[in-house]
Amino acid sequence: MAFPVAQRWLLGVLVVSLGASALSGSIDPYFLDVVMGVGVSVVLASSLNLINGFTGQFSLGHAGFMAVGAYASAMLSTVVAPRLGWSPALLQWVFFPFSLVVGGVLAALAGLAVGAPSLRLKGDYLAIVTLGFGEIIRVILQNVDAVGGARGLTGVPTYSTLFWTFGTAALTVYTVWALLNSTHGRGFLAVADDEVAAEAMGLDTTRYKITAFGIGSFFAGVAGGLYAHLKGYLNPGGFSFDKSIEIVVMVILGGMGRHAGVVFAAILLTLLPEGLRELGGRSVPNPFGGAAWSLDWIKDMRMILYSLLLIVLMLTRPQGLFHRDERRRKRA
Amino acid sequence: MSDPLLQLTGVTLRFGGLTAVSSVTADVKEGELAGLIGPNGAGKTTLFNLITGVYQPTDGRIEFAGAGTGGVKPFHLTGRGIARTFQNIRLFPSLSVADNVRVAFHRHLEHRTGHSWLRGRRFHAEEAELGERTRELLGIFNLERFQEAPAKSLSYGDQRRLEIVRALATGPRLLLLDEPAAGMNPSEKDELMRLIRFVRDRFGLAVLLVEHDMKVVMGICERIHVLEYGRKIAEGSPEEIRADPKVIAAYLGD
Repeated sequence: MAFPVAQRWLLGVLVVSLGASALSGSIDPYFLDVVMGVGVSVVLASSLNLINGFTGQFSLGHAGFMAVGAYASAMLSTVVAPRLGWSPALLQWVFFPFSLVVGGVLAALAGLAVGAPSLRLKGDYLAIVTLGFGEIIRVILQNVDAVGGARGLTGVPTYSTLFWTFGTAALTVYTVWALLNSTHGRGFLAVADDEVAAEAMGLDTTRYKITAFGIGSFFAGVAGGLYAHLKGYLNPGGFSFDKSIEIVVMVILGGMGRHAGVVFAAILLTLLPEGLRELGGRSVPNPFGGAAWSLDWIKDMRMILYSLLLIVLMLTRPQGLFHRDERRRKRA
Repeated sequence: MSDPLLQLTGVTLRFGGLTAVSSVTADVKEGELAGLIGPNGAGKTTLFNLITGVYQPTDGRIEFAGAGTGGVKPFHLTGRGIARTFQNIRLFPSLSVADNVRVAFHRHLEHRTGHSWLRGRRFHAEEAELGERTRELLGIFNLERFQEAPAKSLSYGDQRRLEIVRALATGPRLLLLDEPAAGMNPSEKDELMRLIRFVRDRFGLAVLLVEHDMKVVMGICERIHVLEYGRKIAEGSPEEIRADPKVIAAYLGD
């Protein structure tokens, strides 16, 4: 059994990110921001993978759950935290994780509230219900003045560090992995494969789906909290349908129900637009002599290139970036 | 004589104006090999779905091991000891052969979902034990060499057998087999008959079998119930059924 290896991995990432966190003062702030964004993406994609990939439920509401967690933890940090009179270190190391968990729990409750009544629905129908839920959340946030309404919520303390983002990412990946690699966990896959047969084999399919929804939206909420304390500013527009689609694309590109593939896709798709932006500022030497070719056009074509790349990847690797089927591998 | 393991009393199921199953009274005794036959559309599979709780009877009562099954969810009935296979194979195609069996052990697990996160000693001990039991069960049916292969890669006959193995893993007292011989050639059918008898003797359970192949039904069933248009028209030993004019009329027409 290779399981202690997984826990060692988890511990390893935690230690490394703690170390990197301590050194983050000497890292370029833009770069740091991008890298932490990668951590948040990994949390989002891995948690959605539990719902969409492994359990076979099509949720389009992940940005909505993320928004619940983001606003909840941001409100805690902006309204409650200043009244405590705690030291900054105490706020960052005790209050911040607490606010993340609260955000996650509220998101999970929202997930259960949406999930429990609508999980009889399958496929497209569930997708539409979750899509509608995500939009409702966004519209509410846009119209509630207490959270800044359409102007957004400003002044969120930037507590997110490399440690918190990557620590959470590692914890999410570990949780989803550990959950799946057990006899109980194979039940998620069984539900995705054939609900009728799963029920006949004694699996409570509804409970499995609700568990997947609850855990998935919990981590989406935590990711939202990390995001809020990373950017320092929240805008309802950032949690629109586009954001949900972005996360779904990560899961599909990584290969529905693959652990490593989805993590990799989350990293790739978060870095890609930034990488193209970077590339746009450069130029390549002209092999025929003369003036160097400017790559300025990439700046304008950035999102088109991004979309084209997605199309090409889907055409060439519809089964996900990693071909190898992890599910077939011996249980670790 | 002891109470029957499964008792159906006046079971009726209506879908709107259509009466799919009409006032069926039948029983299966502990350790019995019983058959359920009837022309196409007679309501055999519907009766299976009633017994396993997929449908709730409009009227009548189903009792399993002395307790009513009305309103009980299918997965709870599995826990009580009813397992089934499907007419059209319904394995978990993307899961490995071993995992197909492993998930079916699920109801007998002592550790809970949270333990798979903590991964403590108890979790590993139980998972290892389950792996052993899975191997053992697959071994009985000569499927252990396919353990790690995805279930969909097995041959048709092996998939049918794996479905039976998976059902057995739930620890049933009553095994419902829905057309297990469908699509099998004569030698595979002989093998299947041996297998069903073996399963009954080895695991000491009752088997209720829906089957169109008369050779199989007559060959292994101790008692046969005959359905036509949702009604039960006959019950008896294979010899009695073969000689029953009502059954002959149902199959061959008047």
